[in-house]
Amino acid sequence: MKTLTNNLRLFWQGAILSYVALFHWMRPIQYMASKILMPLSQMFFFVYLGTYATSLDNRSFYIVGNALQIAAVSGIYGMTMSIGGDRDNGTLGYIFGTPANRLVVFMGRAFMNIMDGALGVVIAFVWGVLLMGLDLSNTNIPALALIIVITTISTCGLGLLMGCLALITVNVMFVNNFVYFLLLIFSGANLPLKELPAWIQVISSMLPLTRGIAAARSLVNGAGLAEIAPLLWGELGVGLVYFILGYFLFTAFEAVAKQRGTLEVF
Amino acid sequence: MNIRILAKYWRTILIVAEMNIRQQVTDGFILFTVLFQPIIIALLGLWMLKDKGPDAAMFVVVGSGLTGLWSSLLFVSGGSINAERWSGTLESLVAIPTPFEVIVFGKNLGNVIQSLLSMVLGYFVAAFAFGYSLEIQQPLLFVASVLLSVIAFISFGLIIAPVFVMNPGVRAWQNAMEFPIYVFCGFLFPIALLPGWTTPISYLLPPYWAAIALHGTSTGGAALNATLSAWGMMLLFSLLDLFIASRLFKLMLYKARADATLGME
Repeated sequence: MKTLTNNLRLFWQGAILSYVALFHWMRPIQYMASKILMPLSQMFFFVYLGTYATSLDNRSFYIVGNALQIAAVSGIYGMTMSIGGDRDNGTLGYIFGTPANRLVVFMGRAFMNIMDGALGVVIAFVWGVLLMGLDLSNTNIPALALIIVITTISTCGLGLLMGCLALITVNVMFVNNFVYFLLLIFSGANLPLKELPAWIQVISSMLPLTRGIAAARSLVNGAGLAEIAPLLWGELGVGLVYFILGYFLFTAFEAVAKQRGTLEVF
Repeated sequence: MNIRILAKYWRTILIVAEMNIRQQVTDGFILFTVLFQPIIIALLGLWMLKDKGPDAAMFVVVGSGLTGLWSSLLFVSGGSINAERWSGTLESLVAIPTPFEVIVFGKNLGNVIQSLLSMVLGYFVAAFAFGYSLEIQQPLLFVASVLLSVIAFISFGLIIAPVFVMNPGVRAWQNAMEFPIYVFCGFLFPIALLPGWTTPISYLLPPYWAAIALHGTSTGGAALNATLSAWGMMLLFSLLDLFIASRLFKLMLYKARADATLGME
């Protein structure tokens, strides 16, 4: 029982403190700008580009795709910086020096980013409805909420894996930016995947967001939860694979770093 | 100011630009911002606009290059003074007889030249990956538009850098300032799609006039009068920006010396 309590405390404190550390340098108004204005303007850009390319009738395709893509802001950048930040700030050695359960530490880093990412997507959908005319009258809203949570979790799974890379590379922002922008193509947020080459479709099927976006589009078009359930399970499965890979990589890097004495060597 | 001094400044500008480019070719963040991000945007735009034909492809090549120019200006030029601060060279640069704004001008020139490469790469992506045979419709006017755009971007960058240094709070808005300019300046779609009340905002942004001139001359879709007026606006904004920047640099350096905070954030 005591172990469980300790782990819960570790999880919660790790979640809160890593999140506070991530944004400590910002004032509330700047935090709002980075959480609301940046995703909103990115969404506007791609929705306008998409409707210019096709027609205004297709706007829900782009709004839904880009609203869910916002999950990657917290999922990729937030997660990577939460984990990599320990190395940058010199606290990684202390974490590896504690007897704390690594899985709990690892999950604690993800929790607030999942909440934050999901909130970002909700805000994006609200903007979509209020400013861009997204029609959610035929949409099962609780099912949409479920899609948002699952997609954010799976995106954070990829972020955790990339966060581990942040422990061994100095060019982490290059990798982050690259993955984030490639997701704009490969996730199908801005392009119908069936129109893309087969090799892109194969890569897309192995990425988070892809199935979540497809599920959300079906839902907005009037599909029910039962119809999109396979996509949701798939999205969750992809996320879990990334979480597991990330966790094993995290423990492997810890072992290697301790063996070679390269814990905070850049 | 005589010709000899101007020639000396020009030599400094060229050397700083060259050094800047050499330093930055190994920086992953900068490489992504000035090269890879515009290429990804070009790929995305070319796919999205593929049904609109070669004119749209040229529009995307130029527009994605402009996104690279702006992002480079915002993130790289915007942080150019702080970069010197972090590497401990700011004090030396401020102390040398060459005005500090000349140094920053050279750094901005390096960034802008580097970013223009993304337009060239975008051209090759459109040609080889999508099979477009792209031709610049008004080559001479296009070259003149590129030159004026470079000047307009550099001058705009000279305002951004000191503003970011004097107001660290503004710098935190950097991420939020990237895409709005893509939208308001019509880099990849006409601003006529936007609500009417946003048009005056576009008119106040030098990158908008650069986009008008570059899109118009590359696709041949603009009348000469429209291109000339875009050139005029770029020149006007450049002069205005240079005037404001000279004041801002004086203020920034005075404050830094008075508060003894030159090397501090």
